[in-house]
Amino acid sequence: MPTEISWTGQVEHLHITARAFLPMQPQQQIKLIAGEGIEGDRYRIGVEQGFYSEKPEEGRQVTLFEAEVLETILRDYKIELLPVEHRRNITTRGVPLNWLVGKRFHIGECLVEATRLSVPCRHIEEILEKQVFNSMVHRSGLNCRILEGGTVRIGDSIRPA
Amino acid sequence: MPRHITLTVAEAREAGPGIRHLTLRDPDGWPLPKVRPGAHLDLQVPGLGGRSYSLCGDPLVADAWEVAVKLEPQSRGGSAWVHGLEQGATVEAAMPRCTFPLAAEATRHVMIAGGIGVTPFLAMAPVLERQGADWHLHVLYRAGQPCPQALAPWIAAGRVTCHDSTRARRPDLAALLGAHMPGLQAYCCGPLAMLEGFEAATAAWPEGSARIEHFTPPPLPSDPSARPYRLELARSGVSDEVEAGGSLLAALRALGAKVDASCEGGICGACEIRWLEGEPVHRDLILTPERRKTHLMACVAQCASDRLVVEL
Repeated sequence: MPTEISWTGQVEHLHITARAFLPMQPQQQIKLIAGEGIEGDRYRIGVEQGFYSEKPEEGRQVTLFEAEVLETILRDYKIELLPVEHRRNITTRGVPLNWLVGKRFHIGECLVEATRLSVPCRHIEEILEKQVFNSMVHRSGLNCRILEGGTVRIGDSIRPA
Repeated sequence: MPRHITLTVAEAREAGPGIRHLTLRDPDGWPLPKVRPGAHLDLQVPGLGGRSYSLCGDPLVADAWEVAVKLEPQSRGGSAWVHGLEQGATVEAAMPRCTFPLAAEATRHVMIAGGIGVTPFLAMAPVLERQGADWHLHVLYRAGQPCPQALAPWIAAGRVTCHDSTRARRPDLAALLGAHMPGLQAYCCGPLAMLEGFEAATAAWPEGSARIEHFTPPPLPSDPSARPYRLELARSGVSDEVEAGGSLLAALRALGAKVDASCEGGICGACEIRWLEGEPVHRDLILTPERRKTHLMACVAQCASDRLVVEL
């Protein structure tokens, strides 16, 4: 029998941006729209203006990144990568993102399903002028589709469905 | 993929003889990526590709970038296009890159600008002033002061000295710079002859204490040792022969690789790519020895081995 790990975490930071290349903008709350994406974000389906928007992907409606990874990148690579810099939407704490592909979980009042692990892109080095690519391999966050929308706020709990 | 940033010309005005100043913003007014003083912007000129212009606004201003471009009738067409832009026009640009940074460790900064070469220093000036740095800028020109509106407050503050060579003899660069002393960092941006004079004046200075920014790429010396090689693209697996002295950039594009380029002379950094195997001959002017271990500038690099594999 596979062991189901037990976890609960929370939302530490929220960021969106309207277009590729532009700086991520910190938010106190974001609005998730089921089947589409985040209001005002570059990867919302239908209004896509992201770096990868020419490669449509249904499961890229909201992206997550672990706060713990930022801390380990600083520890192991001496590179300070800030929550505003990883370019994912939700910075989490206490959530084992790499374990959740194919799983459903709640973020505040919303329900999402993890579709695949995010992979780092050299594009981020161009934007940040930091050699951060290698440090992000295999821990670059999670892509999800939104099953039940709603508002996500900083401090909201993240928990298995 | 949108390789470029979309910008709107929010303001277009004259800024000295033959100089057009543009203020560029996101179409919806969103903050733009942060830039470092000394960075340049590669504007995408229709039909011509990227053309580099130094950003000349205060880097602290988050929602606007400024460039000032002199009309060069002998240029490759970029300046004429910029001079035709009006308020409301939409332009595309690559991410700004900084190949002419301030020296963080310096205690005194002396800058020499030739004409429109003043632009990177206009971005550095407010940064240095906020740091409380000791700095001075010499602007040398012949046909009227470049960017007079931007220079005026710095002239009034005693930070900038203007040298109009139609009124007085052109100053000796070595005399403007003085002898090197610990903590002194010198910078020069201007036409090739001025850069050569600056390099001669600072030849005996410690390594790295004198930095230059080219207007246009200097002509590359012909390379009698150039040899043919096989170019391979790691991701797609395609390959082709490159003739001795042939352009790597052109060969990459012929193989279907999308590679940005701007100066095509190894100074702007637009065509930087990662190499995986082979023995590149780096002929650019900006990559550090460390960076060259993994990257090359496709516009000028050649190859000393039979085979070159790049990460594309």
